[in-house]
Amino acid sequence: MTDVVATNQTIIVVGGGISGMTAALEATETGKQVILLEKRPYLGGRVSQLYKYFPKMCHPTCGQEINQRRIKMNQNLTVLTQAEVANISGNTGDYTVSVTLTPRYVNNHCTACGECAKAATTEFDDEFNYNMGKRKGVYLPNAMAFPQHYVIDQRLIGTAEADAAKAACKYGAIDLDQQVETLDLKAGAVIFATGWKPYDANKIQPYGYDRFANVITNVEFERLMDPHGPTGGKLLRPSDGKEAKNVAFIQCAGSRDKNHLAHCSRICCMASLKQTNYVQEKFGDDGKSTIYYIDMRAIDRFDDFYQKVQDNPNVSFIKSKVAKVEEDKASGNPVLHGVDTEGYKRYANQHDLVVLATGMEPSVDFKGFPVKIMVNDEGFIEQDDSNGGIFAAGVASDALDVNRAVQHATAAALRAVQVVNQVAGA
Amino acid sequence: MKIGGYLCTGCGIGDRLDTKSLETVAVREGRIGFCKTHDFLCSQAGVDMIKADMAAEGDEKVTKAVIMACSRRAKTESFHFGATPVARVNLREGVIWIRPEGSEHDETTQEMAADYIRMGCAEAKAMQQADASGEQSKNNHIMVVGGGMTGMTAALEASKAGYYASIIEKADHLGGVMGQLKQRQPERSPYQNPQDTGVAALIAAVEADDKITVYLNSTIAKTAGAPGRFEVDIASTVGTGTHAEFGAIVQATGFTPYDANKLPEFSYGKTPNVVTQLELEALALAAGDGPIKRADGKIVENVVFVQCAGQRSQKEGHLSYCSGHCCATSIKQAMYFKDTNPEIETTVLFDDIRTPGAGGENFYRSAQDKFVTFRKGKVSTVDVKGNDLQVNFKDLILDEDAHMDADLVVLATGMLPNSGTDIDTMKDKDASGEIKVPVTSILNLNYRQGPDVPHLVNGFADSHFICFPYETRRTGIYTAGPVRRPMDAGQAQTDAMGAVMKAIQAIENSASGRAAHPRSGDLSFPTFRKEGCTQCKRCTVECPFGAIDEDEKGYPKYNEARCRRCGTCMGACPVQVISFKNYSIETVGAQLKAVDVPDEFQEKPRILVLACENDAYPALDMAAMKRNESSAFIRVIPVRCLGSTNTIWIKDALGSGYDGVVMMGCKKGADYQCHFVKGSEMAHVRMEKIGDTLSTMNLESERVAVHEVAITDIDRAPKLLDEMVEVINRVGLSPFKF
Amino acid sequence: MTTAVNQAMVEKYKGNFLKEVTDNVEEGSWVKMCMQCGVCSGSCPLGPHWDHPPQELFMMIRANKREEVLSSTSMWMCTSCYNCVARCPRGLPITHIMHGLAHYSKRMGMKPKHQPTEQFGQMFWDNLTKKGRVNELKLGLGLYFKDGFAEGVKVSMGKQKLGLNMMKAKRMSPMEMLGGHGVKDLSGFHAMLKKAEELEAARVGENTDAK
Repeated sequence: MTDVVATNQTIIVVGGGISGMTAALEATETGKQVILLEKRPYLGGRVSQLYKYFPKMCHPTCGQEINQRRIKMNQNLTVLTQAEVANISGNTGDYTVSVTLTPRYVNNHCTACGECAKAATTEFDDEFNYNMGKRKGVYLPNAMAFPQHYVIDQRLIGTAEADAAKAACKYGAIDLDQQVETLDLKAGAVIFATGWKPYDANKIQPYGYDRFANVITNVEFERLMDPHGPTGGKLLRPSDGKEAKNVAFIQCAGSRDKNHLAHCSRICCMASLKQTNYVQEKFGDDGKSTIYYIDMRAIDRFDDFYQKVQDNPNVSFIKSKVAKVEEDKASGNPVLHGVDTEGYKRYANQHDLVVLATGMEPSVDFKGFPVKIMVNDEGFIEQDDSNGGIFAAGVASDALDVNRAVQHATAAALRAVQVVNQVAGA
Repeated sequence: MKIGGYLCTGCGIGDRLDTKSLETVAVREGRIGFCKTHDFLCSQAGVDMIKADMAAEGDEKVTKAVIMACSRRAKTESFHFGATPVARVNLREGVIWIRPEGSEHDETTQEMAADYIRMGCAEAKAMQQADASGEQSKNNHIMVVGGGMTGMTAALEASKAGYYASIIEKADHLGGVMGQLKQRQPERSPYQNPQDTGVAALIAAVEADDKITVYLNSTIAKTAGAPGRFEVDIASTVGTGTHAEFGAIVQATGFTPYDANKLPEFSYGKTPNVVTQLELEALALAAGDGPIKRADGKIVENVVFVQCAGQRSQKEGHLSYCSGHCCATSIKQAMYFKDTNPEIETTVLFDDIRTPGAGGENFYRSAQDKFVTFRKGKVSTVDVKGNDLQVNFKDLILDEDAHMDADLVVLATGMLPNSGTDIDTMKDKDASGEIKVPVTSILNLNYRQGPDVPHLVNGFADSHFICFPYETRRTGIYTAGPVRRPMDAGQAQTDAMGAVMKAIQAIENSASGRAAHPRSGDLSFPTFRKEGCTQCKRCTVECPFGAIDEDEKGYPKYNEARCRRCGTCMGACPVQVISFKNYSIETVGAQLKAVDVPDEFQEKPRILVLACENDAYPALDMAAMKRNESSAFIRVIPVRCLGSTNTIWIKDALGSGYDGVVMMGCKKGADYQCHFVKGSEMAHVRMEKIGDTLSTMNLESERVAVHEVAITDIDRAPKLLDEMVEVINRVGLSPFKF
Repeated sequence: MTTAVNQAMVEKYKGNFLKEVTDNVEEGSWVKMCMQCGVCSGSCPLGPHWDHPPQELFMMIRANKREEVLSSTSMWMCTSCYNCVARCPRGLPITHIMHGLAHYSKRMGMKPKHQPTEQFGQMFWDNLTKKGRVNELKLGLGLYFKDGFAEGVKVSMGKQKLGLNMMKAKRMSPMEMLGGHGVKDLSGFHAMLKKAEELEAARVGENTDAK
């Protein structure tokens, strides 16, 4: 049984991405007792799947390393992975949060020595790489994974392979009898840092994501750049493994669109501008990028980054929402059809690869949530006194870039600290 | 009182290495109290064994430990024993995972392990338990500079968390720029109409809050001290000044509107009918519920908004950046007109409409619904035609030159941060020694490095980090709102809360002597040996956080609560008198000296690798997890920051027969990735000068390499080490082997 | 009459063509919501044949290019495939707006000359309103001969096979040439049309001072 101490001065943070880790750390480093819940078997969230951040072109894992070290060193912070909130009851300063823990089948005896994985053979789609590659059924989710413990895929349970993995472990770390557990945790305040998921590109019929191999999403493009990713860090297109030297970026793929997401996802313009740098990084002057956009939203000092990309002769900008994508059968090249609205110029442009700048959708549907909280039409949590001691942090509140999400999460930590300080003072 | 050694034989260590002989190395050569082996040291039983030794009494008590097992990044929680110093010897990721199996490798692999154990023992001996200095104090009072929306929000939120706040406002009233607005853009669903600014309510709340003190007509004459003990002289233009003490500071000094007189092409200044957005607010406030009138009293019937006026432009005198709020502000202001009379023509001429998020896009749609016309166009000039105006522009959609008549033109000009003196340009004095930029300081810090927080780009006092937006370079001082980066009111209020969170944290940390991020919780702090100090001031100059002042006698004064424990001062010191209890010239120097350098006939080079513990070391670690092979001749020592590297280590290494030194730090320069801002850069600068040392020693300059390594350089990092092996193969072994 | 109405509209809206479109064109109130993304323009299968695609027309309306818009052939090109409507991120009923604009330009007497869609439309209407039923044969032949006798013979010969197949399939009867079928209460039908015309004229009149 998982043993966790929680009181009505505890802060529970739901979601272990960059916002959740930030909210949890800022609160705990101020002396608060915090429990961080994460659905996945590891922390880091969506940003751990990015190659670089705009506008500095630095690596998300760098900040993640620091945050994970902060977590390891802090006695007041408890991390529970594979944990989801099943129910919340109570009021500000006195909540009970029911948490469902799904089994990892590996306990904390695990030393990450990797012997168990050697005993496994069956491969599954690798979620960390947006299913673009395979991983074993006994696996360490990624090189930065924290907790640094292996995971056994639930689908292997009951097979000889699972038994073989168990036999390979010298440390008694594999426990195939683990069951789903439910914990009732007390909390004074709860922070939802549940983040986002990429909008389902299959729903954008004219762009052919479901039909053409060389139409991918912006998050998938990130994985191609990662040295640990499915292509080992090479920019190869899926259909034939050819180098993708001429890349099209389609903005607002699902965002600012009544048929899809009504809101602007804010980050996608900057993400595509950043990704043109990837094309350059790999191919120099042979790498060409074209951004098809409605408005370039490189807000505040990010505009300097936009101007730098504009100065790059290998990057073109076309003010146009692409009408449809077809495929040139012979070459496998996607062909983009539409109209450059600046002066009405029709185009039918071939590219090696199309990257859909898919938007951010809140990952949790709060409308069917156990407690009533204010949610706007777009599905984001609104700050409201009627939410009591329940707060949003990061993208659970709106489409935000990393910097703003962290800022917002730090503010959310303060809201939670205010509640537990009042509980302590009462 | 002894040093305990604990050798783990699990995870293949026992299979690949001769652990019996390693035990002997630890005790005989490492000269530690004892060395126990355990086949699963990180298990509860293993950890309990160590804890029992630490809990023992008298001579048997283990006061420092050498854990000979896996990387310091693995099982960190298990091998963390409070304040007790622990040296981690990395036999798994550092040795067996990067070395191929096979008897031909066994000798060099074993030597590697033995060296690391010698190093760990030497480190442990040199380390001392770090405890808080005892000079801590707790002060629950936050100074908030600026009484605008950001400042008032900061003060109120601090109070709500149980802390005290004082607002220092230079004007004779609270409210700031937001107080000059009629309304603000909507913050709540469905985001369709402007809403009340909320300033009056904030002012009332501030005035009613007995935890908040307001100093109007006041500026800061002097700020001294450190988090937990800031001493501030508050000057008043109407009365006598005050002295107050604070635990932390939030700087919410806002912005100054761009001077539209720099835009003569738009006829600003030639006619009162060309106004800035802020000036339009004044007209709107004057109009009340009635129609908005121009200065000449004419009711406005046709208004044109010119976006990005003097912004997003490389032209001399323009702002290169986007001020973020202006699109939504023009939309809001167009609604001022449309909501009183839908017949009024309102046109927004824009390049990109930037209304992000759920609120932004809804607000944009709402304006269109109210018949606000949007045209993508680039305005060239605004001509005065009698009493009216003609706006000349290129319509980018219709691809033609166009013009529109207007009776009022509103320029969406940008924001300039009120960030005080740019301490970097202060250094840029002219021949007479005068500072060129005559800007008044805001904080008047008496810090050695200058009176204000350092600026980033375009004068904003932002943090450089994407993942750590509040890591300003002055611990305990947090900027918030548009002084930090261009932003709207909603974001500024969030920012105020974030800054208060950090301020509260700084108060709590300074009260117990704990370091702030990134070495959160670290109790060590720098001290120096006074008799050795030459008062050269290198440490005070190089500290990336401006933590070090000079005392009245010219000696460095380490304000530990300002210190972030990177060790850059220690690396800078030419006479090696600066140290931390658990990290010093000695803890690293003793390690590199503990390595058994084989004589030249054995043809086994030794390469010292100093790797940043945050990026380069994890990259090597993850390379090991992938089982990327590395040379058996490298000896890696993690450093807090490459900036803490003292050249004495390089000299000592080369002088004692090492054949090469590889230093791995983070990216430096404008887009630095160093978490201590300047550390990596300082190390690079220092190492540029190492050439002289090498030539006096008659050594080839290639023997020392400094690299920028990112945490993702999993494949590249080991290759850089191989490169050094090749260099040594080429230039030969060091002549300094004895 | 059309010129008078047109003049009246120009005077009434004084250069605010967007307002005029909003008030008078079917679904014209949506024009203001366009954000100029151009997906409609790119989605139109007949796009290459348009002088001004929908998104550009919408911009021209905002730029008060009344003359150019109303005399444009563009909106007559719409074949109601609804690609644009399906894709418009702002949910504009673009197909309907196009038809509305075409109708309005015709009413204002500004329709382009010799625009085949417009000509066919008029022909269809005249054909239909005569007897209350469409006379396929007359409509087809009328269309073929609209550009003169020689051209008509040429087109008719080319379409001979189609005509024969339609007859075989009983979709067209040569007997229609002799008058053809109609609705039972023809005078009632005509009275209805007359009333509708009156109502429409009154409605337009309300929007102008030209009664």
